[in-house]
Amino acid sequence: MTIYLKLAWRNIWRNRRRTLITVSAIMFAVVFAIFGQSLNRGSHEIMIDNMTRFNTGYLQLQDRRFNNEPSLDNSFAYDAQLESRINRAHPQIELMLPRIETFMLAADEEATRGAMVKGIEPEKEQLFNNLEQRLVNGRFFTSAQQEAVIGQGLAERLRLGVGGTLALIGQGRFGMSASGLFTVVGIVDHPLREMNDRIVYLSLATAQELLAAEGYITNLLLVPERPRDTDRIAVALRHEFTAADLQVLTWPELMPELLDLLRFDMAGSYLMSAILYVVIGFGFFGTVLTMTLERLKEFGILLSVGMQRLRLAIVVFLETLWISLLGVGCGLAAAWLVLLYFHFNPIELTGNMAQTVIDMGWEPILPVSFAPELFYTQGIIVFILAMLVFIYPLVKIARLNVLAAARS
Amino acid sequence: MPVVQTRQLTRTYNPDTIPVHAVRQADLCIEEGEFTSIVGPSGSGKTTLLNLIGGLDRPTSGSVHINGTDITGMSDSKLIDFRLWHIGFVFQHYNLIPVFSARENVAFIMLLQNRDKDEIARRTDELLDEVGLEKRKDTRPAQLSGGEQQRVAVARALACEPKIILADEPTANLDTTAAMNLLDIMTRMNREKKVTFLFSTHDQRVIDRARRVVRMLDGAIVEDSCHEG
Repeated sequence: MTIYLKLAWRNIWRNRRRTLITVSAIMFAVVFAIFGQSLNRGSHEIMIDNMTRFNTGYLQLQDRRFNNEPSLDNSFAYDAQLESRINRAHPQIELMLPRIETFMLAADEEATRGAMVKGIEPEKEQLFNNLEQRLVNGRFFTSAQQEAVIGQGLAERLRLGVGGTLALIGQGRFGMSASGLFTVVGIVDHPLREMNDRIVYLSLATAQELLAAEGYITNLLLVPERPRDTDRIAVALRHEFTAADLQVLTWPELMPELLDLLRFDMAGSYLMSAILYVVIGFGFFGTVLTMTLERLKEFGILLSVGMQRLRLAIVVFLETLWISLLGVGCGLAAAWLVLLYFHFNPIELTGNMAQTVIDMGWEPILPVSFAPELFYTQGIIVFILAMLVFIYPLVKIARLNVLAAARS
Repeated sequence: MPVVQTRQLTRTYNPDTIPVHAVRQADLCIEEGEFTSIVGPSGSGKTTLLNLIGGLDRPTSGSVHINGTDITGMSDSKLIDFRLWHIGFVFQHYNLIPVFSARENVAFIMLLQNRDKDEIARRTDELLDEVGLEKRKDTRPAQLSGGEQQRVAVARALACEPKIILADEPTANLDTTAAMNLLDIMTRMNREKKVTFLFSTHDQRVIDRARRVVRMLDGAIVEDSCHEG
């Protein structure tokens, strides 16, 4: 094989300029494809991170009916036994965040607004999403206190400040009437705009008492030690909870609309990459076509002296592979450097776009992603391209008339 | 057993439209150690006969036996393998692999035969020494003269230890000195190592060296004579 690799390597440099042009074309295609997709993905990663941290988590345990019918009636008991079952099923769960959620009416003396009430354990939540850092006013409560922290948007709508009294009115578990007065001790600038306009945080115990659901929760957020293990943990937990009334949902299952939105957003980027690769593919094909046609006589001679067609095809395939590898290798290295540059010097957004992003609680920049699949996907695409391009010399070699070729 | 035996060998191009009889019912027998030239004017069929013997072309009828093996009905793949192990080729235009050095060109054939690395290295050196290229072993074809390239081609043809070497107009592109030098090498190989050579040529210098001359005209063998060479 070494001799074939050597032969193929030297063959591609028979026309140095042509090879360099082809390699450069592949390199630039890889760089542009990675850069374009990285910008898109970077924004998506922030979006997903925010959504998981401040809303769904990576993984949730819920009552089997809750996802379709998010009612307090579909809550479940949360106790030490459940925790130990989860830990037994998969030990690499860093945190368990019990929450009870429901919609209620939030009111002050003059106004009423729909609110999402979340009963949480603030100390644990703090470890996961650092919610306290988003306080714009006041402080957070502890688990034992009957106090509320509300979103800035809701506070503005109800004209409530720290120290004000918030009334919550709604329905508790099994239709029980639920109402209570709470002192607003903090106002948070929630990174999710929709939540910012309606969120009311209570301590878990307070919310359970308010909703007549002592010992019950609606969601148990599970925080994996490594987020990339989410799917693996989900499989283990599903195995543990097969017969129970509980179901395990991962963030894409909890936010299918978000996933669809991201996919739709990525489609544009993929389309651009596809166009780029089609153009580059034709350039690559042109090179291989010329390399094949100008060497038909040589192919004929090699077959004459006893080189099997398969071996000849292997050499030509190695030539296309060398060109691809060079293009992809240079492209990946260059793309890495470009991404590194934009990671430390991100593109800053300006004007309305910047304001929109700031309103959503993010920095007004275009972040880049270093997701590994961005890189290896390009390698796979160029390899497929090389395989497609190789079809022409393969057919040519298979059909080559030794005598005609040797005479050409 | 003859190295080459053709029986009623015929090659007709365009048999269904305007037939061209390139080789007609040629009966030829070449014994081991012969140094034979096939001669004749252009279009007489000498190259076609050589191609049929080398398995590069397929006969319309008749048969070709190399060392007792009938190669006429062999599959493409088997024929390629047969050529690798039994037939050496020397072409008019040398046809070396341009990206390989003289050494690599010679070694390549033995690599295709999957021979032992040490044996390949030893034999490559021997062959290049024998054709007088001991100091040009690592030179690529583009840096070699025509005569030197043809000597590499001879060494390459010898590398597979063939039953016969088929040489199609090997001196056509060489000046007199280079041609005579090449012929000296081939004659020496033939005399000392009993390598069988079959030339297609109209070069008088080659004809003069041959011990047997087969004359062709219009695709048919019209004369077969032996002389001192």
